[in-house]
Amino acid sequence: MPSIPYLFTVEMDTIFHIRGWLNAGHDRLILDILIQTVLTKLKRSYDSLNLKNHYGGINFERIVVILRISPRNLSHYKQRRKRVNFDLTKEQEMIRREVRKFALKEIEPIAGELDENEQFSSDLTRKMGDIGLFGMFVSEKYDGQAMDYLSYIIAVEEIARIDGSQAATIAAGNSLGIGPLYYFGSEEQKKKYLPPLCRGEALWGFGLTEPTAGSDAGGSKTTAVPDGDDWIINGSKIFITNAACEMTLGVTVQAITGTRANGKPEYTCFIVEKGTPGFKAVPMHKKMMWRASNTAELYFDNVRVPKENILGKQGDGFHQMLKTLDGGRLSIGSMGLGGAQGAYDLALKYAKERKQFGQPISKFQAVAFKLADCAMEIECARNLLYKACWLRNEKRPFEKEAAMAKLYCSELMGRVANHAVQIHGGYGLMKEYNVERFYRDQKLLDIGEGTSEVQRIVISRYIGC
Amino acid sequence: MKICVCIKHVPDTAANIKLAGEQGFEDSECKFVVNPYDEYGLEESVSLVEKNGGEVVVVTVGKEAATATIRSAMAMGAHRAILVKTEGQFLDSALTCKALKAAIEKDGTPDIIFTGKGSVDTEGFQTQYRLAAALGIPVVNEVSKLTVDGSKAVMERETGSGEREVVEMTLPGIIGATKGLNEPRYPKFPDIMKAKKKPIDVIPLSDLGIDEGAGKSVLVKLEATPERSGAKMLEGSVTEQVAQLVKILKEEEKVI
Repeated sequence: MPSIPYLFTVEMDTIFHIRGWLNAGHDRLILDILIQTVLTKLKRSYDSLNLKNHYGGINFERIVVILRISPRNLSHYKQRRKRVNFDLTKEQEMIRREVRKFALKEIEPIAGELDENEQFSSDLTRKMGDIGLFGMFVSEKYDGQAMDYLSYIIAVEEIARIDGSQAATIAAGNSLGIGPLYYFGSEEQKKKYLPPLCRGEALWGFGLTEPTAGSDAGGSKTTAVPDGDDWIINGSKIFITNAACEMTLGVTVQAITGTRANGKPEYTCFIVEKGTPGFKAVPMHKKMMWRASNTAELYFDNVRVPKENILGKQGDGFHQMLKTLDGGRLSIGSMGLGGAQGAYDLALKYAKERKQFGQPISKFQAVAFKLADCAMEIECARNLLYKACWLRNEKRPFEKEAAMAKLYCSELMGRVANHAVQIHGGYGLMKEYNVERFYRDQKLLDIGEGTSEVQRIVISRYIGC
Repeated sequence: MKICVCIKHVPDTAANIKLAGEQGFEDSECKFVVNPYDEYGLEESVSLVEKNGGEVVVVTVGKEAATATIRSAMAMGAHRAILVKTEGQFLDSALTCKALKAAIEKDGTPDIIFTGKGSVDTEGFQTQYRLAAALGIPVVNEVSKLTVDGSKAVMERETGSGEREVVEMTLPGIIGATKGLNEPRYPKFPDIMKAKKKPIDVIPLSDLGIDEGAGKSVLVKLEATPERSGAKMLEGSVTEQVAQLVKILKEEEKVI
């Protein structure tokens, strides 16, 4: 016979589960929901277990009073909730289900064709915007979806499970386009640019990499010099996602604005709207992977922008870039995880259908063991990535885990896609079977937003090498 | 305008169903969805209410786990829900309709009740008719086009031979939705969050005075569909193949 305190503890735990998706600002509301739920649940348990015989009558109203006046109880139980819990919330589960449904119905039938024709689809991008795939972690104030970071990562994962290109549009749109404006922009900048981006009506690029500056940011040459109340930008950027399609509204560009006290260049980020004289964005073609996503080269030829277009403060550019890339790593991680899952799904299905020597090839140990390894590593990757997201949500340091997750998920997708093509045999080499697209799309993940080598440098520094 | 949508919590048709015992299946690992035909009814209700005002109430008879399915329906725009909670996986059609009737009457009779044309799990195709008989209101099934005009509904329904009937019905009435009626929307993420706060009234079946064991039909046994045996490929010229086929039909399969 469970005791009342035991029941109470169990119910409190359930309730703090709810807390996960409520923001701190709603304390009053939470308290009321808590009280309601505790009461209903307690009453139900109380009735169904016939506790009346053991404990006599309970004054439930009194429990309400105690709960209302002692918020300390809440923080006590909140602490208790911080033990290991691998459950996703019901909303996160639902987002996974709905995004998967969307991806299967709207993306899968055309993914191959868009890839083949190297075609970015504005139509599909707007559809993705309609269900809320842009501005997922942005407050409702700017038309964002106000969801937790893990929900965003799950959404990218489910898109990547079907198509890397569309996942790239979403991940770059959120992490690189919307992210810096949301985290570092002034109120005016946010109000001006975020709503159309969050509604999925427009896209925004983040100009960082230059022809001579990839992993070595020190090699950048793009400069901005003050001229009265304006700044004049000169230089060029390369491999910039979402920056040269009809939906592009503008870009955030990092430029050198001087020299810091330690002799290193001072970086500042500027907002440059499409159509600003001297600014040109040219789509890049003949890509091996992500062929249906938009990639651009940016040219700045005496581009004049007012000082109001500085993102944050002058000199903040380097810090902003680092912060942006930390978050970006998680979304690249989710593309690796989703892509690995997608390639594995295809391989498992094929292995169960394809017969050789009188039985499905999934019955042969050589194939079965490959699939078992894939399943195991995908599980590891998911746990690592979700933990990094959880750390971020909890506002705790997550940089090391983000680098690990990016590296592990990217390279994992390489191993899984390789096995998946191998399991498909000759058919795996043909476009009709889609698995070759996963094999090609993967390679970017080892390179973009910090190469695998750079991730290893980051991790090795964190562990004290 | 008040619209009730009867929604069934069914296993996804792509789910891998594992039998558990003789009369049940493993439902803890199985993926469940809103019965696809009910989804057309839901979409129609939500868009009708968006146009005319009112509320959409989901009515479900099923296990407690059906709340997840109900939340999906709420994310698509239903305002609140009633779950008549059962203990077992399968409930006799007659009892299901008795439960739906009791729950709907208790809540107040709506202007329209939507169902799907049938459910994709047990495929009984009885709910709309039994419910209409019990409530004493008209019913039109397999509706693929609908116009509501005051207390009248004008519908097109498939008659099965590629023809369509145009039917007029006085409301309140029951409409069995089918493919073609609309294209169900994808829920927007903020709506998924809001769905959590919408009320679900959970009523145990016994509270409606219905005995779960008192069904008129009993599920005796579930069996997995047997795997298809290997096809036999005939070889040779067409004439030879025909000769072989006739021989097989006569001697092996004994159908001629």
